[in-house]
Amino acid sequence: MITFKNVSKLYKPDTKALDGISFHVRPGEFVSIVGTSGSGKTTLAKLLFAEEKPTGGSIHVGDWDISRIRRSEVPALRRQIGVVFQDYKLLPKKTAYENAAFALEVAGAPASRIREVVPQVLKIVGLADKMHRYPRQLSGGEQQRVSIARALVHRPKIILADEPTGNLDAITSREIVELLKRINDVGTTVILVTHDRDIVNAMRKRVITIQNGKIVSDAEHGKYHLG
Amino acid sequence: MRSLLRLVKFAVQSVFRNFWLSFVTTSVLLLTLLTVNMLIVLNVLADSTIKSIQDKVQVEVYFNAGTSEEIEKSVHGYLQALPQVKDVAVIPATQSLETFKSLHADDPEVLAALDEVGGNPIGDSLLISANNPDDFEFILAALDSSPEYAPYIKEKNYADHKAVIERLSGFSDKVRLGGLGLAGFFALISVLIVFNTIRVAIYVHRDEIAVMKLVGAPDWFVRGPFLLEAIFYSAAATALMGVGATLILKFLEPQIQSFFAGVDVNLAAYYWENLAIIFGAQFLALSALSMITTLFAMRKYLKT
Repeated sequence: MITFKNVSKLYKPDTKALDGISFHVRPGEFVSIVGTSGSGKTTLAKLLFAEEKPTGGSIHVGDWDISRIRRSEVPALRRQIGVVFQDYKLLPKKTAYENAAFALEVAGAPASRIREVVPQVLKIVGLADKMHRYPRQLSGGEQQRVSIARALVHRPKIILADEPTGNLDAITSREIVELLKRINDVGTTVILVTHDRDIVNAMRKRVITIQNGKIVSDAEHGKYHLG
Repeated sequence: MRSLLRLVKFAVQSVFRNFWLSFVTTSVLLLTLLTVNMLIVLNVLADSTIKSIQDKVQVEVYFNAGTSEEIEKSVHGYLQALPQVKDVAVIPATQSLETFKSLHADDPEVLAALDEVGGNPIGDSLLISANNPDDFEFILAALDSSPEYAPYIKEKNYADHKAVIERLSGFSDKVRLGGLGLAGFFALISVLIVFNTIRVAIYVHRDEIAVMKLVGAPDWFVRGPFLLEAIFYSAAATALMGVGATLILKFLEPQIQSFFAGVDVNLAAYYWENLAIIFGAQFLALSALSMITTLFAMRKYLKT
């Protein structure tokens, strides 16, 4: 499903964010990518949805070779991967419903499908009663749920969550991770990029640990063992 | 079609949900148009004033006494047929004499000579108005070069007016050149104002643009609503300018008329007659400028 082969990323003048990263993610897996600040995990996430291009190596997501992707193909790739960000990245002047619907509207989905799918997904993330609120009228956890709903409306095969609990309290963080687990349970591959020890340890899923741009461990039922 | 409707929906939503930004953007565009329209008004006033002065310049051609009415009619017809001639009026001899006397009231020698001759030595005359005072030289030359009519012409008062006509012509050229320079200067300022206003409006939306890109919106889908907004703002500013100009002109027209007494100035009529051209051109120019600026300002935010 996702293959990183000897991937490196160099930022000018001489910062090596990733150094020869290789791993493979099977369909339906839940993989946590952990590491301390500056370890390169966010760079890895950015490479995955083509916000950045690798300096070396190759990245394959399904049939896409992201390392060679053309600029015009990037929107189509992003519509295949649902992305959840630490800072939610919601459109402030659109309601929860409109934010989720936007992801379908850019893909040219018919209005009837949007009317059917969006309320369903907002119900799944527990926001059925707040769908017409603007982001500023929602709590951090609720905004993150909208972000997850927006990532889900496409029914993507992959959900990439980049520090989704970074701005949330412990209880809300657990709720968000539970939601991601439920999404994984129905067969969606989930890549969770985080530095939250408690979440990773509670999960008992595959953990890839990155340090100084290199993979230092890749354990099937791993734990967070960084200092 | 579905996408176009969505772009229109997003643009309309954005205009109303970012009300203050829309208000400020439209206001700045409106002020830009106000500058443009003030230049148009100044230009029309200057043109009308110059035209009015030019219209007052007339050259009189005196026939020899005893010239037959048939010849006079023929000369009249000949002059009237020239495209440079605006109007030719026949002045009877008695009136010509009075005019001649009044023109030379300060010249006792001429008046004494007239008395000596006795009676009316001046024949009928033709009062010529030209479309452009610069054309008088050509018109009179045409008359002089006609062997058919030249022998019947006694005098022309062109030499008296020549200096005035030349000064007037020079003045009007300077006014037009100055107007053009002023228009160019204000056009440049307007372009810079519109450019910066739109850039600020896009800057305010930079995070939204990045988010749209991150959820997979193609560039045209992100640009679309902003381009439509630019058209909406331009349309609103032009419409407000149209209504404002109508009201201001209605209120100021009597004052302008009385200030420019004797000059044929009708700004309201000018605007009304050229409504489609004036505001159509302003709308198209403003829309084009806003859209080009929008595309330019969005470039770096679309790189996400």
